[in-house]
Amino acid sequence: MVTNDRTTSDITKRIFREVAKLTWNGELESKKELLPEEIIPGPLPQFRCCIYREREIIRQRVRLARGLCPAKTDTANIVQVIPAACDDCAISSYSVTDNCHGCLGHACYESCRFGAVSIVRDHGRIRAHIDPQKCRECGMCAKNCPYQVIVHQVRPCKQACPVGAITMDETTGLCQIDETKCIQCGHCIHACPFGALGAKTFLVDVIHMIRAGRKVYAMVAPAVEGQFGPDITPDSWRTALKKAGFADMIEVSLGGDLTAAAEADEWAEAYAQGEKKTTSCCPAFVNMIRKHFPTLNGNISTTVSPMCAVSRMIKEQEPDAVTVFIGPCQAKKSEALDITISGNADYVLTFDEAVEMLRGKDIELEPAESYSQQGSTYGKRFGNSAGVTAAVMQCLKEQDIDASGISVKVCNGALECKNALTLMKLGRLPESFMEGMVCEGGCVSGPSRQKALNELKKDRDAMIARADDRGVHENLRIMNVEQVPMHRD
Amino acid sequence: MVNVSICVGSACHMKGSREVVAKLKELVKAHQLEGQVLLNGSFCTGNCQYAVCVVIDDTVYSVRPETTEEFFNNEILSRVS
Repeated sequence: MVTNDRTTSDITKRIFREVAKLTWNGELESKKELLPEEIIPGPLPQFRCCIYREREIIRQRVRLARGLCPAKTDTANIVQVIPAACDDCAISSYSVTDNCHGCLGHACYESCRFGAVSIVRDHGRIRAHIDPQKCRECGMCAKNCPYQVIVHQVRPCKQACPVGAITMDETTGLCQIDETKCIQCGHCIHACPFGALGAKTFLVDVIHMIRAGRKVYAMVAPAVEGQFGPDITPDSWRTALKKAGFADMIEVSLGGDLTAAAEADEWAEAYAQGEKKTTSCCPAFVNMIRKHFPTLNGNISTTVSPMCAVSRMIKEQEPDAVTVFIGPCQAKKSEALDITISGNADYVLTFDEAVEMLRGKDIELEPAESYSQQGSTYGKRFGNSAGVTAAVMQCLKEQDIDASGISVKVCNGALECKNALTLMKLGRLPESFMEGMVCEGGCVSGPSRQKALNELKKDRDAMIARADDRGVHENLRIMNVEQVPMHRD
Repeated sequence: MVNVSICVGSACHMKGSREVVAKLKELVKAHQLEGQVLLNGSFCTGNCQYAVCVVIDDTVYSVRPETTEEFFNNEILSRVS
């Protein structure tokens, strides 16, 4: 997978590992201040101007790994800017490249309605120039230039944000997140080539719970299958997590089945009453509705997510259990913090955080021959775009409900979600239901994905093909979990 | 709107933050304040000596399951207009 953040991601993982190791050994408090020097021994800097800045970045990252804000000010957002790491990239949005011919057409000049374009003599050459103070970023100059020499550059973090939550502090030039807009999708985190964005983690909390002897259950997302290669199965995770002290691991594909069954009932009812509903399993999508389309709040289905379903199932049996979701998602952390939903996961870890938590105890995911199955293939496909719809349709079919009139708008990625929600808000969405996933391709392409969609497809399909063809309701009967409360309170 | 953040970090969890949350939810419902009091979970803010930490307007309060009702009456009801 070609990414912008290989190097910074390696540093982030190292920090997760070191923080986890100290926490497992009960030494975090006494030794956390030593980490910056240990990781950046010097005397020469490797990436930045000096070792002192590199160490400050490490210090801020350690705070984030501990679940704290990187700098002094404390805010509730999960996604955070690491100020020491931000390069304050001086990108003025539209600029004229050296390829400008200085032509006589002056289409750039003519097309600018704000007087930002001028034709100047620069070192003897005639060329166009854009005054960043006057430019309103309308893009007309770039569009009209016959040589396409005007480029549009946007900060990678800003470009990655689907909801316009990222701006720049005008005095410092540092990136800042408008927390009233941020939907915690985490897309910016891996877009920044300097690794200046990160997310708070529950690493320390999870390890503390295990060390305190609590019964901690892991719940691994359906998106896991195929992420770590052809032979790392859900059983590999169960073995490794139990070795680390977890009581057990339950596949959230089972939760996918639970959610699909409840969602099918809810859709059938809403359809009969002519109401439109959206899915509720993607937390970034739910955050998008709550923050950007509040009038559609009542259209979010009240069925809880697969993560919550499995957590409730575990807590019904063991009320004192601590439940930890492990998946590709950052936004799930915000779902866990939404305490209005009872019985939901106590903590959430991303794949990267979970793998490094295990490594902090010298445990690796090992290839497993076995493939024990807790979810149907429909539940397993919940992590793919259109997977939720397929599972709900299967449930309607299993219950002999006529679904021929039910139309679903599958929204793959944040942009499609936004467009469909806009139509729904205006009362112009033709479809009755909407499946929303903010990550393009579905959860399998979440911010903590290990591979690009095309790279993992083969392994994922092969692994899911090992599952038998049981239906959704059949699986719920096999797993004996038909009594889980499935709605938000 | 009164924003009430209850820490769900491990120290607060072990001192009963889940019980505090459940009780606050019941009290908010009983007083029909759903539209005026917003209950949120929060990450650990490093004030573990006060567990269970509940934050309103940047002030950290130390609450236990058995003092939740008293806390609700003194600190939340007084802020609801």
